[in-house]
Amino acid sequence: MKFAFYPGCVARGAGPELFDSAVAVMDRLGIEWVELTGAACTGAGVLQEKDQKLGDILNIRTLAMAEELGLPVLTICSTCQGVMAQADRRVRRDADYLEEINGYLAEEGLSYSGNTTVKHLLWVLVEDIGVETLQKTFVKELSGVNLAPFYGCYIVRPSDALGFDENPERQTSLETVIEAVGGNVIDFPGKTACCGFPILLINQRNSLRMVANHTGTASELGADAMVTPCPLCHLNLDGYQPKARRQNNRGKADLPIIHLPQLLGLAMGIDSKTLGLGKHLVNTRDIIRKVESIAVSS
Amino acid sequence: MYKHDVLIIGAGLAGLRAAVEATRLGLDVAVISKVHPVRSHSNAAQGGINAPLTDRGDDWEGHALDTIKGSDYLADQDAVEIMSSEAGDAVIELERMGVIFSRGEDGRLGTRRFGGQLVARTFFVGAITGSAILHVLYEQALKYGLNVYEEWFVTDLIIEDGRCVGVVALDIKTGVLHSIWAKAVIMAAGGAGRVFEPSTNAIICTGDGLALAWRAGVPMMDMEMVQYHPTTLARTGILLSEAARGEGAYLLNSEGERFMLKYAPQYEELASRDVVSRSEQTEINEGRGVDGNVLLDLRHLGREFIEDRLGYLQEVAVEFLGIDLAEQPVPVRPGVHYIMGGIKTDVDGATIVPGLYAAGECANVSVHGANRLGANSLLDTVVFGRRSAVHASEYVKSVDAGSGSDEHLDEAKARIQSLLDREPNENWAAVRNYMANEMTKGIGVFRDQSSMEGAKAAIDNVSERMPKIAVQNKGKVFNTDLIFTLEMEFMADVGKAIVHSALARKESRGAHFRTDITERDDENWLKHTLAYQDLESEDGVRIETSPVTITKWEPVKRVY
Amino acid sequence: MQSKIKVSRFDPETMGAGQRRWDEFELDVHPSATVLDALIQIREEVDGTLALRCACRASICGSCGMRVNGDAKLVCKTRIADVVEEGETVVIEPMGNQPVIKDLVVTLDTFFDKVRQVDPYLQPDAEPEQGEYVASDESMVNLLTAMNCIMCGACVSDCTVLEVDEAFIGPAALAKAWRFVEDPRDDQRDERLKELNDVEGGIWDCTRCFKCVEVCPKDVAPMDRIMEMRDMAIEAGNRNTPGYRHTESFNNSVKKHGRLDEARLAVESAGYTNVPRLIDLAEIGVKSVLKGKMPPIMPHKADNSEKITRIFDQVESERNS
Repeated sequence: MKFAFYPGCVARGAGPELFDSAVAVMDRLGIEWVELTGAACTGAGVLQEKDQKLGDILNIRTLAMAEELGLPVLTICSTCQGVMAQADRRVRRDADYLEEINGYLAEEGLSYSGNTTVKHLLWVLVEDIGVETLQKTFVKELSGVNLAPFYGCYIVRPSDALGFDENPERQTSLETVIEAVGGNVIDFPGKTACCGFPILLINQRNSLRMVANHTGTASELGADAMVTPCPLCHLNLDGYQPKARRQNNRGKADLPIIHLPQLLGLAMGIDSKTLGLGKHLVNTRDIIRKVESIAVSS
Repeated sequence: MYKHDVLIIGAGLAGLRAAVEATRLGLDVAVISKVHPVRSHSNAAQGGINAPLTDRGDDWEGHALDTIKGSDYLADQDAVEIMSSEAGDAVIELERMGVIFSRGEDGRLGTRRFGGQLVARTFFVGAITGSAILHVLYEQALKYGLNVYEEWFVTDLIIEDGRCVGVVALDIKTGVLHSIWAKAVIMAAGGAGRVFEPSTNAIICTGDGLALAWRAGVPMMDMEMVQYHPTTLARTGILLSEAARGEGAYLLNSEGERFMLKYAPQYEELASRDVVSRSEQTEINEGRGVDGNVLLDLRHLGREFIEDRLGYLQEVAVEFLGIDLAEQPVPVRPGVHYIMGGIKTDVDGATIVPGLYAAGECANVSVHGANRLGANSLLDTVVFGRRSAVHASEYVKSVDAGSGSDEHLDEAKARIQSLLDREPNENWAAVRNYMANEMTKGIGVFRDQSSMEGAKAAIDNVSERMPKIAVQNKGKVFNTDLIFTLEMEFMADVGKAIVHSALARKESRGAHFRTDITERDDENWLKHTLAYQDLESEDGVRIETSPVTITKWEPVKRVY
Repeated sequence: MQSKIKVSRFDPETMGAGQRRWDEFELDVHPSATVLDALIQIREEVDGTLALRCACRASICGSCGMRVNGDAKLVCKTRIADVVEEGETVVIEPMGNQPVIKDLVVTLDTFFDKVRQVDPYLQPDAEPEQGEYVASDESMVNLLTAMNCIMCGACVSDCTVLEVDEAFIGPAALAKAWRFVEDPRDDQRDERLKELNDVEGGIWDCTRCFKCVEVCPKDVAPMDRIMEMRDMAIEAGNRNTPGYRHTESFNNSVKKHGRLDEARLAVESAGYTNVPRLIDLAEIGVKSVLKGKMPPIMPHKADNSEKITRIFDQVESERNS
């Protein structure tokens, strides 16, 4: 199983622990990868506001690079997944538009013909690897660990860009993975809502209310941690949780936000330092201890 | 207690158009509606609005003649002349208010063809024309800060000294009854399709306005004229617009034949609605139907055209039947859609009760006669909605307000309390469903003495059951059980008027086609039926007739 | 077909605000029955006290917005068989973000007060001397997207911003505003854009979460309309907002490095003169550095990032010409 790896800006910037943990986990899963180091940022929907075509050119360029390698794109970012899938859908629906976009790529000798796909690691786990095989890589069953899923908008909406009709299991993939590691799913209404990150720098009050609502509710429901496949959600839910909960009277900032690969890593028995769990703003000590107290199964 | 110069009952196209006009004339105006204005059933008009625009070569007399011919010569020609000659200005005005009518290459209003007309003079917004106009009129209402009693249900008209001076109404959100006094009341409360089942009409189309005016002594005119639309969906009765055929869709029988070529060689699928519905029913009755339907075929129009010009039709077909119009013909059948009959008014919307006006589907001016042309209903609403407001605004200058007495309010309170106090017995829904099914059987596309007598028997049965209907819900807030019971009383009145009017008309004309008397009889029946409430008579109804106004178009045989 | 329906009930005359009761019904329904068919059947045959709004049954009047299994929908066009497997329960609740009056009926004021806020009527400087306004068919067809809105409130129900801030004008009213901004017959375009740019709860408060796009039963895609207005507002000269600076900074970062530079983005969005926000950012920044996760001072570049810069230059020059 080999992929053109697109880690996204955050994993290569403010969230190095995501990149490190993803690499460690992919190694255990037997996923081969080659990083698309020349690919641009997806635009995260922000560039698309200003100029959708520009955003589409950058993303189709990334897909063309993967196509040239003959590999599907693997991402570890919900936002990147969604933005690339939306661009892909637009060009697949409109051949003239694809031709126009390819026109901008010609100078680099790139051209996209629709012969690749973009897949988040989360989907690869449930679709390509499968729960059974996945579980063979685990050394611990995280029973008694209460985990709240948090998807990130772009991996659930717009649904018609995300292949839910053909792959309905994608809609519950995060719960599937939590169950696969042996954890308890803490279901809560905010799991597919917005984390607030896109307006953090525009309307911080509203953004932090979202953070406080989601983390506060999950804590109140007894979650030991929240798991997210989206590093942008992580930036907000982790980085701004103390301030958000203080400002909105939602208790102590006690909910660690765990990247999806970190969760897998814990079940695989990878040490917390490699997983970068010390790099979070909300202390992860309690969850690490809880996992460490679980004996390694045979 | 509330007071206004003019109170308009109903917030669809007729009501809002009237309200905008009266507001512009500087009066204190309010609109009262049992639903929020944008929920009104004008929304459901899909195909367009007719107007002969004389500045681009059309002539209004052509439209008038088509309308009169469509009416099977039952329309009053003075009224039709007014509607046709004012149509152009009415549509241009809507455009200037902001309606996003489809355009031609030159950037001016574009048209499509509609039934009963060889000229393309129907202006449209995709297949959502009614909705697009309703929302723009609501925008105008917001612009003028119009006072709207939203979700208030009118239970009674207040009549003092023979004049209409206000209403008693229930605020649905609180369950409290109020009197609202007005020097003039314009009834624009829409149709009565729910008297039948199935029907294209919304659940709110229960003939409230018709029954309220009737109880005030105003006759309902030509109530036997019930329009069956040729293209409705089986079971649900949901409408597929005539715009499909206007844009070139075919009607096919089980043998794949375009059967309309046989019934209407010149107009084909775009003959008048009564003619097309009868042709379909004949095909079905003679064994060339498809499970009680015929097929509407749009495939040759192509997907892009369908999605661009008829998007809402595609949505309906896909969502409700799982049929993609670009791939598959859709089964359709005639279904109850519109009532040509209604509150008798003059060309200014005035009824025989001073201070009471009517416009839109609940009124009968009469411009539709025995059969309404597609896209003439929207035109009717805006032309006569406006005229009613103009006339009512003049009228209010010369009259005093009502007494302000609590008598009417107290009576209404007592009556509603008595409904709530009844012992559990009949349920309004059971009575409604029974009546509506029987009405469709008896007053169908084809009818005869025996079928109509069957409907009368059902109405008699309903009359017996009405006093036993008990309201299950005793609460105040949003007590729809109570509202539906009051609506059932309105529907029973309307059903009665329809049945007795139908039995009275001993000929076939337009939508009233009797298999036992198949010919039109101009000698004896070139006249309107008038149904009056008559509590002294055995059936509670009295039928009279009045002459049809002929100006310049002598009745001739109708051929499409 | 047997169908299980679970309905959220609230009666203001016997229950306190915020309370609810769940009633379950088992019904025999037509195989292609809609959720509305089932609710009407309950109302007519089982429980006449159930309050809900509905009228046209054909997805054009906008009355019957409700939450079905958690998502806002028009129940008249939602077939039971499309939302649950046979035997599973359909869960019906009133819409969100709008106070409940009774059972499945919510107040209309929340929605329509926002619509009023955007001056939702055509404002031309002058009417044509005669006849209609001359305008291209494309310009009118363009407006159809927003005119398809039936004001059902589904987008308002599920809007994630309205959940935390009732001042947000919200998806439906902003889509309505777009309809006038884009109308060639309206002469208040710039004024409208300035207002939507400046007002509390305006175009910059949307989080781009796609909820409104997802739940809209009429494909109005309100979020796309909001994004278009952001760009139009900038083009019309409205540049003194964090939103504008955020977009520009993002654009510049990707243009220059091919990647996003979070640290610079934060500072530039706040504005170099916004001292309190900068101190606030510095606090988070210091914590991040201490945790060893602050982005490098020299941003991580994409390989051959000049190729990305070239694409930006090309698109920008086309856009400006």
